[in-house]
Amino acid sequence: MAAPSAAGLGRRLRAWLPRIMPVRWSRYNPSYLEPEVKKESYQKPLEELTEEEREQSELKAVRPIKAAPPTLSSSVFSDPMISKFTNMMMKSGNKVLARSLMSQTLEAIKRKQLEKYHKAPENEKETIECNPYIIFHQALKNCQPIIGLSNITRGGKTYQVPVPLTDNRKRFLAMKWLITECRENKHRRTMMPEKLSQELLLAFNNEGPVIKKKHVLHKMAEANRAYAHFRWW
Amino acid sequence: TLRLICTTTAVQRKNAGASGPEKYTEAFIKKQIEEFNLGKRHLANMMGEDPETFTQEDIDRAIAYLFPSGLFDKQARPMMKHPTEVFPEQRKIQWGEDGRPFHFLFYTGKQSYYSLMHETYEKFLNVQKHQEQMIAQDLPLQKEKRNLAGSRWLTKIELEEMLIEKLSDDDYSRFIQLLQKLVALPCADIEENYIQKFSKEVPVQLQKVVIEPLQYDERGVAFSTGEGKRKTARATAVVYDNGTGKITVNGTDMLHYFPVLQDREQLLFPFQFLGRIGKHDMVCTVSGGGRSAQAGAIRLASAKALRSFVTEKEVEFMRQAGLLTVDPRVKERKKPGQEGPRRKFTWKKR
Repeated sequence: MAAPSAAGLGRRLRAWLPRIMPVRWSRYNPSYLEPEVKKESYQKPLEELTEEEREQSELKAVRPIKAAPPTLSSSVFSDPMISKFTNMMMKSGNKVLARSLMSQTLEAIKRKQLEKYHKAPENEKETIECNPYIIFHQALKNCQPIIGLSNITRGGKTYQVPVPLTDNRKRFLAMKWLITECRENKHRRTMMPEKLSQELLLAFNNEGPVIKKKHVLHKMAEANRAYAHFRWW
Repeated sequence: TLRLICTTTAVQRKNAGASGPEKYTEAFIKKQIEEFNLGKRHLANMMGEDPETFTQEDIDRAIAYLFPSGLFDKQARPMMKHPTEVFPEQRKIQWGEDGRPFHFLFYTGKQSYYSLMHETYEKFLNVQKHQEQMIAQDLPLQKEKRNLAGSRWLTKIELEEMLIEKLSDDDYSRFIQLLQKLVALPCADIEENYIQKFSKEVPVQLQKVVIEPLQYDERGVAFSTGEGKRKTARATAVVYDNGTGKITVNGTDMLHYFPVLQDREQLLFPFQFLGRIGKHDMVCTVSGGGRSAQAGAIRLASAKALRSFVTEKEVEFMRQAGLLTVDPRVKERKKPGQEGPRRKFTWKKR
């Protein structure tokens, strides 16, 4: 196909303010906005929107919009967190395998929870959560660290300085810990869905090695509180 | 014939302005314009057309007819354009006979840029003073919002053309920041004239596409066609009304053609978004590309076909959901000296 050229996309049309020339660029003109896929956001009448949302909708009416990626869909079954997790589990671009593993994991979680549900006495039946999506989201939330450490070199010595983390970074760390935990610290012959479902259920109940890792990180950050002033950002 | 005007040795040493000393005098350019007009009349006579109403497009066509050229580069072919388009705009010499510059900011190096910044800041202070006066008199501050969505600032290249001076990216972004600060003040309407010099209208995009009306086949069933592409895949889709939700791809059912759930989800995306899953039948043909590219192509084709069945508001919703844009992402080419599009060869110390 034609070689991508930044100039060919119409330099004159860009009211772009580059401060540093970026290395990663995209085939879209910078004026393109992200698509909004959820059906509910289009059914809200005008009065219910806040000021910002009204401005956003006016802007969207004028600007061009990027095409929706193949992983995004308006169906009830597509969840952005699950897609992110599937992409992180994927190896060498084998999305089919990663997606099948993910669905088997969710199935395994559902089976285990249903077993527990049927064995439990009457009064405890309501407390048992059977929805695998809710369990997944809650487990991820429980695994997210609040504060992270970063290496800062001062006077030759490298210190571990406690640093606040952004939302994206927290989510990424939680998912990464879960996946590495499942890949490395388990018996070789167990299947990934089994391992993952076990880890997710433990994380849901605030137990398990991933939660322990998170607590260790928090303790290290607490211990290195003295160096917090090294951070300049 | 180009002729350098006589300059003093002092001037020849200094590197004057943006692009060297003035190459074309005003008299020279005037002569060129006269010659161009004469030539235009001769050309019109040659082509047998009226010299008074001979436009630039006619000139281009005449030259392409009289001097056919097979050269690939359009700018290498013979052309006849107005001298102001051919000779780039030059700044006049900015100092007098004694060597003293006219403009007080000449020695900054970028006189027009800094004078522009000073002017804009002056307007900013003006607006602030006006605002304080309004507050002192307890009058309400006007809050008419400028239509931000419909206008954009001048690009760096356009600003450079306006000032006839080279700008750096940093300078340009500083100027735009100052303009944005100016616009953000409530009483900025006073300086609206000044601001409009630096903003341009963005044409509203949506009214460009014409939605085709529905066609009817022999049985009286309404249908419409759409074409879509993604990477190297090309697809055409025909969406029939009063259907059962059956989808046929290249003669086979979609369940057999797309064994992967993600592709089937993509095929059904437009229908699910509009809430018309069981109401339409679809027959499509697709070629080229891989599994996911073909699914994306069919998705675009079906979304385009569905536009004829649906109200304008829903078409707008589909556009904002990203269903009607062609995905421009293609495989990036491999570069020489690297192993792939981004991956470099293994670095070896020796």
